Amino acid sequence: MKKETFAEMSRPLSRPLRLLAVVLMVAPPAWAAQNTPAGRTAQPTAAAHVPTPDGQLITQYCVTCHNERMKAGELALANRDLAKVGPEANVWEKVLRKLRAGQMPPVTAPRPDSQTVAAFTTALAASLDHAAEASPNPGRATVHRLNRTEYANAIRDLLALDIDSKALLPADDTDAHGFDNNSDVLTVSPALTARYLSAARKISRLAIGRSVSPTIETYRLPRELVQDERLSERLPFGSRGGTAIDHYFPADGDYIVKVRLQTNNYEYVKGIADTHELEVRLDRARIKTFTIGGKTDGHPPASWGGTLYGSPEWEKYALQAHDALEVRFPVKAGRRLLGVSFVKKAWEPEDVRQPRQGGWPLSSDEMFESNPGLSSVIVEGPLQTLGPSQTPSRQRIFTCRPNTAAARSCAQSIVGTLAKRAYRRPTTEGDLRTLMSFYDEGAKDGGFEAGVQRALERILVSPDFLYRIEAEAPAVAGATSHRLSDVELASRLSFFLWSSIPDDQLLDVAVKGQLKDPLVLDRHVRRMVADPKAKALIDNFAGQWLVLRNIKDVAPDPDLFPDFDDNLRDAFLRETELFFESQLREDRAVPELLSANYTFLNERLARHYGIPGVYGDRFRRVALPDGQRGGLLSHGSLLTVTSYPNRTSPVVRGKWLLETILGTPPPPPPPNVPALQDRGEGGKLATVRERLERHRQNAACSGCHSIMDPLGFALENFDAVGRWRTEDLGAPVDATGALPSGAKFQGVSGLKSLLMQQQEQFVANVAQQLLGYALGRQIEYYDMPTVRKLTRDAAADHYKWSSLIVGVVKSAPFQLRRSGS
Amino acid sequence: MRGSITGGMMVSRKTISRRTVLRGIGTTLALPLLDSMVPALSAQRKTAAAPIRRFGVVYTPNGMVMRVWTPEKEGAGFEFTPTLKPLEPYRDKILVLTGLSSKPPANSPAGAAAGVHARASTRFLTHVIPKRAQGSEISAGISSDQIAAQELAKHTQLGSLELAIEGRDFAGSCDAGYSCAYTNTISWRTANAPLPMENDPRAVFERLFGDGGSVDASARMARIKADRSILDSVMERVSDLGRVLGPKDKAKLGEYLDSLRDIERRIQKAEEQNATNVNVTVDQPAGIPSVYEDHARLMFDMQVLAYQTDLTRVITFMIARELSGRSYPQIGVAESHHPISHHLNDPAKLASLARINVHHTSLFSYYLDRLKSTPDGDGSLLDSVMIVYGAGMADSNLHAPSGLPVLVVGGGGGTLSGGRHIKYPLDTPLANLNLALLDKLGVPVGSMGDSTGKLELLAL
Repeated sequence: MKKETFAEMSRPLSRPLRLLAVVLMVAPPAWAAQNTPAGRTAQPTAAAHVPTPDGQLITQYCVTCHNERMKAGELALANRDLAKVGPEANVWEKVLRKLRAGQMPPVTAPRPDSQTVAAFTTALAASLDHAAEASPNPGRATVHRLNRTEYANAIRDLLALDIDSKALLPADDTDAHGFDNNSDVLTVSPALTARYLSAARKISRLAIGRSVSPTIETYRLPRELVQDERLSERLPFGSRGGTAIDHYFPADGDYIVKVRLQTNNYEYVKGIADTHELEVRLDRARIKTFTIGGKTDGHPPASWGGTLYGSPEWEKYALQAHDALEVRFPVKAGRRLLGVSFVKKAWEPEDVRQPRQGGWPLSSDEMFESNPGLSSVIVEGPLQTLGPSQTPSRQRIFTCRPNTAAARSCAQSIVGTLAKRAYRRPTTEGDLRTLMSFYDEGAKDGGFEAGVQRALERILVSPDFLYRIEAEAPAVAGATSHRLSDVELASRLSFFLWSSIPDDQLLDVAVKGQLKDPLVLDRHVRRMVADPKAKALIDNFAGQWLVLRNIKDVAPDPDLFPDFDDNLRDAFLRETELFFESQLREDRAVPELLSANYTFLNERLARHYGIPGVYGDRFRRVALPDGQRGGLLSHGSLLTVTSYPNRTSPVVRGKWLLETILGTPPPPPPPNVPALQDRGEGGKLATVRERLERHRQNAACSGCHSIMDPLGFALENFDAVGRWRTEDLGAPVDATGALPSGAKFQGVSGLKSLLMQQQEQFVANVAQQLLGYALGRQIEYYDMPTVRKLTRDAAADHYKWSSLIVGVVKSAPFQLRRSGS
Repeated sequence: MRGSITGGMMVSRKTISRRTVLRGIGTTLALPLLDSMVPALSAQRKTAAAPIRRFGVVYTPNGMVMRVWTPEKEGAGFEFTPTLKPLEPYRDKILVLTGLSSKPPANSPAGAAAGVHARASTRFLTHVIPKRAQGSEISAGISSDQIAAQELAKHTQLGSLELAIEGRDFAGSCDAGYSCAYTNTISWRTANAPLPMENDPRAVFERLFGDGGSVDASARMARIKADRSILDSVMERVSDLGRVLGPKDKAKLGEYLDSLRDIERRIQKAEEQNATNVNVTVDQPAGIPSVYEDHARLMFDMQVLAYQTDLTRVITFMIARELSGRSYPQIGVAESHHPISHHLNDPAKLASLARINVHHTSLFSYYLDRLKSTPDGDGSLLDSVMIVYGAGMADSNLHAPSGLPVLVVGGGGGTLSGGRHIKYPLDTPLANLNLALLDKLGVPVGSMGDSTGKLELLAL
């Protein structure tokens, strides 16, 4: 491809833009509507004179405690030169943060009015930004090793192979913000290294697929999954319950699928009063239909305590009803959809709907006249394979086939391509020499494919694969930072947006040195966000930023919340994921995360929220005009994750709002805070709000809690599993909140309005979290000017996601690296 | 190799453990070793000065028919009752203990009528009353095998092994109001940390022997060689890379280098260990066998291997979970175990229950046979082990906590004098037995649960 000259590139409708225009017509409207890439940011206002913040504020309100003698919080603010904030930026950024959050001066001390504070903070921010321009610091992350998610995604993209990364590798640690891609917490231990070696052997064996020994894989369904309706769009219409599994069949051959049904605690199969049909389908084609139940000679037990059990025929059948649910059939290798589900029988429920069983009743009741449920699916195989099969990974790897003469050169081309993709850079002679020596080792005993397998094994434990290497630039006089190479930038980009290795398209552009061009970079960012692989951004960024992952572990009290089943748990997660995805892909304004007037619901979730007219398991977009629901603050997932198993916690919710939404976390509590009393004054039953009154009464507590609690109170209409309520313990819910600043708000809509007034702060927090995620390191004081710039530029563009993401990619910390150390 | 469930359902290959209590456990379970690090199968050299002593527990649920368990005669020369008959070949290594109890103390919390099964299994090695709770509120106490493991782990790669045939799931309630954790395990690392018991022999094999797929001397050597060559090459590359990185990055990569060196050292050590002519070839099992007896025997085989290779010295095994409802049609008992254990003194039901009991002891005798025929130093593994075999309740129908069926089997590394039936005063705490055994293992503790002292007479 002819390299375009600068003149050509700056001509309107030059080739890249013409291509972009073509893409625009077929691409979704968002993320391509910009003619000017949002990353081409407005030039920072290089003011000839930046106003010095007025030191009067410090003298009047701060120095009383923050002086050399008292040094409150180990901070002394007297005698600091506000005209020269640069050298002490770490101090001033802290001051700025505290002032903007309203955390300082303390509520118990005299405070300046909001205009004075605003004027001061604006001037201080401008000064800090000005100082940063003069001597920028892009910071530097220590070399990253791939975390478990990135490792699995890399294997998927490199070898077209899905691996069970949780079985192969241990979990990674997370940093203080809950992110597992922070390079400082990604350490390597001997145990992990042993796992890398073991995984490399297993993966290379599986990918090459020369000889596959049979294994038995078991998939278990959670006991609390209700199986009364169609549970997946990947199961047939008219099905009930069961599961749809993506199973990787490693080779052509016969496989045995065995099905076990739900039993009660005494091993009696549930729901066998009536006949039911169970289907096993492979890639939606029916393999076998089983019939169970309906045979009831004799009488069942009269007591489930085990003292009055039934006639022998009944006992035998009840215990053995699922023993024969086994089928053997041939399968071609690859990832296939295995669907096991019941055929739905039409029946009319009589009487009032009963509460769902949980806990002990669920364990002991055989639910004789209810629906049987699926408990586990066991896949055994391959049996009787006839040599290697055409799997997707083999197709990806073997781009040529050897004849005896050219075997080694074919191998070299295969190995070279694998290495280039795995190492994310052009291979060197040294790379190839090393890898081909392993090829020779393997080929000596096992032939061409064994050789490739051995070379692949070596690739997968190379530090070039496991780490994202960013070379130290040669020392240049006077330069404190250096620009990353295009190849290094490509890796940063793909791990940011995809949590995976660059694809060939991106890598080729980088190798050619074209990624420096802002237009090219912009185009790739947009392409990559539109790619399905960008789901990783939602899973990993949103999932960790919002602490969504905890939803898998919450255990609401089954006595208080008997309706909380696994269908709901899954629905919670899905709602937030789909919502976030829609916001991102439609390039909405970031604050709309809070203010949106729609969400995604399926029947189970709609029923939980009390929203009528939603039927079926499929998630669909639902408009929410009334303001009660809509936006993250009303998502069951987040409301449940910020509650205790048996009650709401306004404190936890308030803290979450401060920390996760506004980015102003409260300081840690003092030690030895006693647990909240179960009852109110005089031992009477009291709402959580009443019990938290103690915070207000105690001066040591009120400093932080007067800011934290009211935010949580505003959400008190949502119970501990996210349902709307107007009463708590018989008393009407009081969802008013009042902040020390004087702001008052009522309920979630009032809270949303309040947060929208502070939307710039919210966006700044999102920008900061996103930047930290993209860089894979802690955000430090010297990054704050970048965060402010991202926020400003986003503001100029209606706070759109594209502006933030492109802004991050084009920011100095993303493209540059501090030298040395 | 991996499957994933999409379309709005969370189904996992392993049981989902959603309890926060268990999250910590998952990360501390030993991950499978790189198989080249596994020491060669070698007969342990045992000197009189430092004999190796091994602890094991084989637990059976739902009590027993006591009248065909308890021998009439006391002392040496006792008769092998029908349930004990399969163990007769090992008479001189067996101590039948009568009179031990796991009775809750007089001041137990109210509602003690419930949760008898949870109590039976939990108290067997912890000797505390389990808290009536589900979810994250569960609480018991540290179990004796874990006390032993904390000390003995200094000598072995794995501190302990917890195995079972069924019931790994800790979710939900299995005994009214009591979490399934109580009945699905007998090992507790701490009061709040029940240990999940592995029931997949493939996973056990991998945890013991790494990912090689089989234990075979020549295949091992080939793998060692292959691993060494990869390690050398990678270490060279890491060193080379260090030259183009900044000092902090270089130090980070140094973690990888140090780990590689560590692994190389361990492989070397494994190679150097004196491999005598122990000719064992074991292939990795494919998964969980569908026939119960095959499954049980395979799990026993894994235990023998674990002791033989000294990968661990503490193993607990539940041959069925407490409250097990398994039916045994293969021995003519078509009914579910737990219901039939409520025999109401009906002779037919008693007979069926007794058949289940003797079935378990015959599987146990398979284990003893394997231990006896596995050389260890001057004798066999059976000489070095002390295995507690028994149930957490006596008469099943009454859930009787008094007069439990308990055996101690093995030579205990010279600390046990077998071949006797010892009758203790009724309601001697079972805890006293564990206290005595811990003492013999060299891990003495002052007291445990409701113990009143070390059990006497185990050695003459």
